[in-house]
Amino acid sequence: MHARLSRPGILFAAIALLASACGGSAASPSASSAPSSEASASVAPPSTGPATVPPGGPIQIRWFCCLGGGDDPSQQKVFKQVIADFNASHPNIKVVFDYTAYSGARDAFATRVASGNPPDIVGPLGVGGANAFEGQWLDLSQHIQTNNIDLSGFDQGVINLYKAGGQGQLGIPFAIYPSELYYQPDMFDAASLEPPPANYGDQYKMPDGSMVDWNYDTVRQIAMQLTVDKAGKNATDSAFNPKQIVQYGFEPQRDDLRTMGAAYFAAGKFLADDGKTAQIPDAWAAAWKWVYKGMWTDHFILTGPAYNSQTFNGGGYAFNSGHVAMQENFLWNVCCVTDAGGNWNLAALPSYNGKVTAPLNADTFRITKGTKHPDEAFTVLQYLVLGAAHTKLLNSISGFPALKAEQADYFTQLQQQKDDKGKLIYPPDVNWNVVTQAIPFADIDPNSENAMPKYNKSLDILAKYLTRWTSNPGLNMDNELNNLKQELQTTWNAAS
Amino acid sequence: MTTLPLSRPRAGRSLLARREARWALVFISPWIVGFFAFTLLPMVATLAFTFTNVNLNQTEPLRFVGLDNYKAVFSDKSTWDSLGVTLKFAALSLPVAVLLPLAVALLLGSRHLRFAGMFRVLFFLPYVVPFVAGVLIWESMLNVDSGWIDQLLKLIGVSDPPNWLQDPTWVYPGLVLLGVWGIGGGVIVYLAGLRGIPSEYYDAARIDGAGVWASFRHVTLPLLSPVIFYTLILAIVDVLQYFLVPLVLNQGTGEPGGTTLFLNLYIYKNFFAYQNMSYGATLAWILFALTLVVTLFVFASARRWVYYAGER
Repeated sequence: MHARLSRPGILFAAIALLASACGGSAASPSASSAPSSEASASVAPPSTGPATVPPGGPIQIRWFCCLGGGDDPSQQKVFKQVIADFNASHPNIKVVFDYTAYSGARDAFATRVASGNPPDIVGPLGVGGANAFEGQWLDLSQHIQTNNIDLSGFDQGVINLYKAGGQGQLGIPFAIYPSELYYQPDMFDAASLEPPPANYGDQYKMPDGSMVDWNYDTVRQIAMQLTVDKAGKNATDSAFNPKQIVQYGFEPQRDDLRTMGAAYFAAGKFLADDGKTAQIPDAWAAAWKWVYKGMWTDHFILTGPAYNSQTFNGGGYAFNSGHVAMQENFLWNVCCVTDAGGNWNLAALPSYNGKVTAPLNADTFRITKGTKHPDEAFTVLQYLVLGAAHTKLLNSISGFPALKAEQADYFTQLQQQKDDKGKLIYPPDVNWNVVTQAIPFADIDPNSENAMPKYNKSLDILAKYLTRWTSNPGLNMDNELNNLKQELQTTWNAAS
Repeated sequence: MTTLPLSRPRAGRSLLARREARWALVFISPWIVGFFAFTLLPMVATLAFTFTNVNLNQTEPLRFVGLDNYKAVFSDKSTWDSLGVTLKFAALSLPVAVLLPLAVALLLGSRHLRFAGMFRVLFFLPYVVPFVAGVLIWESMLNVDSGWIDQLLKLIGVSDPPNWLQDPTWVYPGLVLLGVWGIGGGVIVYLAGLRGIPSEYYDAARIDGAGVWASFRHVTLPLLSPVIFYTLILAIVDVLQYFLVPLVLNQGTGEPGGTTLFLNLYIYKNFFAYQNMSYGATLAWILFALTLVVTLFVFASARRWVYYAGER
């Protein structure tokens, strides 16, 4: 009897479990409570909320961290202070900090969404992190309009970055990280080379005095001269020993195959406009061949084993080891570039086929589509990205303000920063100007972190090829590119 | 109405026996509840998932997809790659997992070994160190620049020692080396098995003129074969479920170049990183079936090589 009863019970429980696991599937913004009483203007701090506590207590808004960063204890301290300040001034809303360490944040966030209990606000969050959860973000257009928020203080391209996929305005610009060329002036001096151009559009003076375009062919030529072996021979010398390199000429941004040369050559995306076909943009193919040749034939780029060695790794960014003359990277690398020595500088990125592309990373806060309190969540969002908290938050994540009016001050502050011994952290004459110059060259649409089907799985495939190319000489890159495209397509085509 | 003979033994049970049975049920009920809630139910649920399109980032309506998930396995290169990774590693690690503890147990069981107790403790000690901590310590030890293993190799003249954890060629030997850390449990099991072999057999073998090797071949091995069988089964299950080490070492990235993307890790990634519950569940059931088939095969082969003294 017991056995007979238990079977339907198990079935029922299984269905219940299944149903609860799928609970988030139809997540959509619920009918909100009363419209926000707050009407904040452009970048002015939002006004404080109504003084009265609604019946049933303040509405709880959960801020989920750290899907894209914010793990550091010093950042957590700032986040909690920001929440305390908000809660003190908004008796109708209570912000609750929902923390999961970055390493487990994707799993935790996915589980919350699937269980029908998504957090209300997520951030700080990059474009790629958000694209891993495409379809889960609230379109803010209506709220921006209702609250009369003026976005004219932002670069239009940066605003457009959050319009990807025709899903509306999914974010308000907050922190941006343009790309630059980091370089070591002393290494250029030692090789009797002119430093890279300080401004976009400038040409480069070669050792023979000729003026040439600052492009990837020029970079290759001078990077080879900056690549030096133990005996002091450079990579253009026939006696050069590639097994005993002590200084490399160039390091691409290698966090992701999409930025390892590719997006610096030209803006592109894997997903074709039909929304289902895998493609490899010609410029990306050219970039990967250039990087591959740079590693295994011309030797001015670190191979995988060299990159993983203690001498050159530099905590994951080879330039920071102090043994690399040039690197392409985002502005967020200034956090750690001080390890590269006391005399680095910034220059213009080279062009490809006459056009400069400066990949852009960006962080902001987003509201989930499944929030039950979109109006209150938007009030909190305003406070975080435009209101009283935004400067504190930007400083905590070393974020470069997306708001144009605040950008100059950012560099002034950076330039004044001192270490524990009172010594200035950054060299006195860093060419910060080139950072803002790069914004018009940003890869907005498509952005290098554009959405693609099976996003996380596709990233793993890219990581696999990155390791393969940086670990194995003698590969036929045309075959490799075909295989990559085919593997992406097969993955995207799979039913599951 | 006829009397039901089947009810007679039940009726014959004493009040005490029935009370004991009730209490027994009460005492094991936490396990039963736990088993239903945390094992059976999730298993049934995951089986149901395999026929749906459920995922953690559900943007499509939930629907029944029949055998689509099972069909997808055949075209999913990553599944086959991860199975290949698991089998390659198994080929290398299984002999070590089964034979090395046996060799160590034989040494520790030797009459000629002094301080045997101390050595037993030393070999077992790593087994009680929290596994994650052990993996992290090994990560440092295997570091190509600062790890003492490569430092030692450099000292003895190896100019270009292996990059154990970053080089696709050396990563499996590196993981096997790391696995040596946990042989203490196997050593104890083998030691117990060796202790269980009556010394009379060795005496009889010696009288018959058997040397050390002959005694090992004709006495120790047959009588220890049930323990070897037991260790082999556990090692097979362990290697097919290999997960924690690559997860901790490389944060589950499968680096270098997918060589540590074991099948179990790939299942985990499907569930959580790719948020594809239905496909992850399908792979989990396939792994379950694979494990079952392999262990059944080993069980079937046991008739040929495992000796049970009590059998005819």
